[in-house]
Amino acid sequence: MSEAGGHAASAADDHAHEHPRYMLIWLYLAILTILEVLVAFLAIPKWMIVVSLLIMAVWKALLVALYYMHLKFEPNRLRLVALAPLPAVAIMIIAIMMEYV
Amino acid sequence: MATIVAEATGQAILHEEHEQSFLRKYIFSTDHKVIAIQFLIYTLFFLMIGGLLAMLMRYQIAWPARGELPLGGIFPETMVASGYILPEFYNALVTMHGSVMVFLAIMPMLVGVWANYLIPLQLGTHDMAFPRLNMLSFWAMVPAGILTLASFFVLGGAAGAGWTLYAPLSARPDLTGVGLGQVLWLVALVFIGLSSILGSVNYITTTINMRAPGMTWMRMPLTIWSLFITAILALLAMPVLSAAGIMLIFDQTIGTSFFLPEGGGQPLLWQHLFWFFGHPEVYILILPAMGFTSEILSVGSRKPVFGYTAMVLALVSIAFLGFIVWGHHMFQSGMNPTLGLAFTVSTLFIAVPSAIKTFNWMGTMWRGNLQLHSAMLFAIGFVAMFAIGGLSGVFMASTPVDIYIHDTYFIVAHIHYVLFGGSLFALFGAIYFWYPKMFGRLMNETMGKIHFWLTFILFNVVFFPMHGVGMVGMMRRIYDSTGYAHLQGIEDTNALITWAAFGLFASGFLFAFNFFWSLKKGKKAGANPWNATTLEWQTPSPPKHGNWEEIPVVYHGPHEYSHPDVEDKDWLAQNERPDVVSPAAGSH
Amino acid sequence: MAHAATAGRVPERGLDVYTQKVGMWVFLCSEVMFFAGLIGSYVVLRFGAADTWAEPGDVLNVPVTAFNTFLLICSSVTMVKAFAAAQEGDQKGIKLWLLSTTVLGATFLGVQVYEYTELVLHRSWEGSHGFTPAAGLYGATFFTMTGFHGFHVLLGVICLAWATIRAWRGHWGADNTHGIEVLGLYWHFVDLVWIILFTIVYLI
Repeated sequence: MSEAGGHAASAADDHAHEHPRYMLIWLYLAILTILEVLVAFLAIPKWMIVVSLLIMAVWKALLVALYYMHLKFEPNRLRLVALAPLPAVAIMIIAIMMEYV
Repeated sequence: MATIVAEATGQAILHEEHEQSFLRKYIFSTDHKVIAIQFLIYTLFFLMIGGLLAMLMRYQIAWPARGELPLGGIFPETMVASGYILPEFYNALVTMHGSVMVFLAIMPMLVGVWANYLIPLQLGTHDMAFPRLNMLSFWAMVPAGILTLASFFVLGGAAGAGWTLYAPLSARPDLTGVGLGQVLWLVALVFIGLSSILGSVNYITTTINMRAPGMTWMRMPLTIWSLFITAILALLAMPVLSAAGIMLIFDQTIGTSFFLPEGGGQPLLWQHLFWFFGHPEVYILILPAMGFTSEILSVGSRKPVFGYTAMVLALVSIAFLGFIVWGHHMFQSGMNPTLGLAFTVSTLFIAVPSAIKTFNWMGTMWRGNLQLHSAMLFAIGFVAMFAIGGLSGVFMASTPVDIYIHDTYFIVAHIHYVLFGGSLFALFGAIYFWYPKMFGRLMNETMGKIHFWLTFILFNVVFFPMHGVGMVGMMRRIYDSTGYAHLQGIEDTNALITWAAFGLFASGFLFAFNFFWSLKKGKKAGANPWNATTLEWQTPSPPKHGNWEEIPVVYHGPHEYSHPDVEDKDWLAQNERPDVVSPAAGSH
Repeated sequence: MAHAATAGRVPERGLDVYTQKVGMWVFLCSEVMFFAGLIGSYVVLRFGAADTWAEPGDVLNVPVTAFNTFLLICSSVTMVKAFAAAQEGDQKGIKLWLLSTTVLGATFLGVQVYEYTELVLHRSWEGSHGFTPAAGLYGATFFTMTGFHGFHVLLGVICLAWATIRAWRGHWGADNTHGIEVLGLYWHFVDLVWIILFTIVYLI
């Protein structure tokens, strides 16, 4: 699939494009999961555990969204739709967390 | 390619028409127009129920000590005992009046009826993107309605914690005496959320992907813009309410304590989640009304909408700001004061796009050739009432003023100025305006005008004095105000409001009579009784299943009235082919 | 007029992405908000009552769930493999990968049912027997979030089973991949939510 949104093109065209390396992504995801479980039980300060776990979780989520959900290969118009709720999520969580600042 | 597919489905729809059974055609229909009419009947019924609840409330407020409720005998002893409305029943009335009106009447009437009816017609497509989901979105509303009505008759009565369902009042059955009724209403709310989300997915996808050729974003009628933005708000806000509502159900039923302080939970969290939904909801309830008004004013003034681009940008900015102002409902809740300041500022900002819209409506009418039919009267009424409601909203945006008038009848007056004077006026206007398209006949004008003047005058008699009653300090959900020293001397005002409210409710029946009478006896309307430009008027009334034999092509903006280049008439339909040699010239 | 109109037609192409895919993404937006409501509440409630939370692994069985997470990740890769097979018109591949996705999804649910049963019947919480939704905010948020995720998996498995049956009937192919791709989007989203939930509920 090319950058220019291969899905709108006919299926015959898709055939010619290369698939993303799905198995490699799977390997990344599996390794990150193992790392997460290991980090969770390390004897280091809690905040370091939390930060590194969150980074790994976001990393995994991005891998799924970009490769498995094909966002990396979609036109920007569709990416915009996909990203639309994130500002609302951020606003909601930041505002309700303000109660503890 | 997409066009070809759309054409093909359109052909399929047209052919299918002859073979459909009654059940498929009118009950489990996937035709967006039938679904819209189903929603219309449903919401008009609940509008009446909501009004009835309000009448019972008004009786109690005006004559708390009198008893003697007319027809009081038909209510069970748990609601009305020897002519007296019981306090618990009064709580249920307050709660369910708000809930029914917001969730089962106004919101589905604005969105369920008109988004369904107008989006495919005004965009020039055969049907919604997902017709079966569309059907499901209506049928998800049916259990919601049944559960709501049933909740009045279960042990403990209907929900009594206010339409905002503040925890812990709503989370613990022992505090209000309502157990099952509250749960039933919350389950209904989850169904409403489902319906609303499915509907929104459909409206958004249809608007994005299924516009007729030439229907660019900036050629969409303002109705579509407002319904599109509304759908985005509903899509992002309703799921949060569903999530919060489900947690509240768990608090009620399986012993969790999300919102119960004694179990470590946080009542304030409920308020944040509720209003994170609730404030976008306020705009869900007003933006479509603004769209209808823009449309009707433009047609009725025979002029293009003044400042079309500014109107679109104002809609978008209201929607965006709508997500960052919810805290202005919570100035009294003890939340972080920094947050309160931020919410004050962001709320005051909303006055800017709202004022842009109001001035543009006036600019649209300015020196226009005004056609004062019923729809136009209601649209003008909307502008006036929205201005009053909007201005009292500015008072409340500022924290110090809001703290003084919080939870008083001033708030009740404000919300009714925007929700009744605003949304419902525009809805009446929309019904008068699009009724001929829906049913092929015009509603009776004389009855329509009488209905308008009765509604307009009585509405103001009911709700304007409430500002004053609220300033004196009358509490919003008070059962009996006579026992308070500071509330002496408002009894006469309350009685006046109640009499006017009865009249207002009665005037609704004139509308209902007109609605059903005109189905058979109304004047036949042609395809385009208002000489309007948008696409829905360029197809027969009522449109066939599939709307168009062939998808129209759009060459013009949505409001080309009194166009200088057109000589024989004062309007130019969106799909009217300009007389030029080059075929592409009209499209850009 | 018909012919002239066709000649002058300038198609408005929307997003240039087929409608079902746009619809699924729009629907996923609302799902994001739903889970954001649940996760946001979890974060706030936990900040407000941090001392009532158990350490990771004390109550919840992390190894079993880590295995379950692995299952879901595998099901995501089989799902994209099914889509790739459909694009290539590889009927055998479609059947194989769709079936394995369904089985993996169902196994995930089975393990979750096992996990819930163990927690409710055999764990103790603050002295009382059984870790249930009523076991403080920890239990309430745990069961609500994982429960709603499980419900989404269940819906996904039902759709997958249906898609698998259709695969055996030869429904999918190089000219008919949209259904698999759209279902895949939903399935990957459910996987994505689990990635977040696994981290914040089980490990932090």
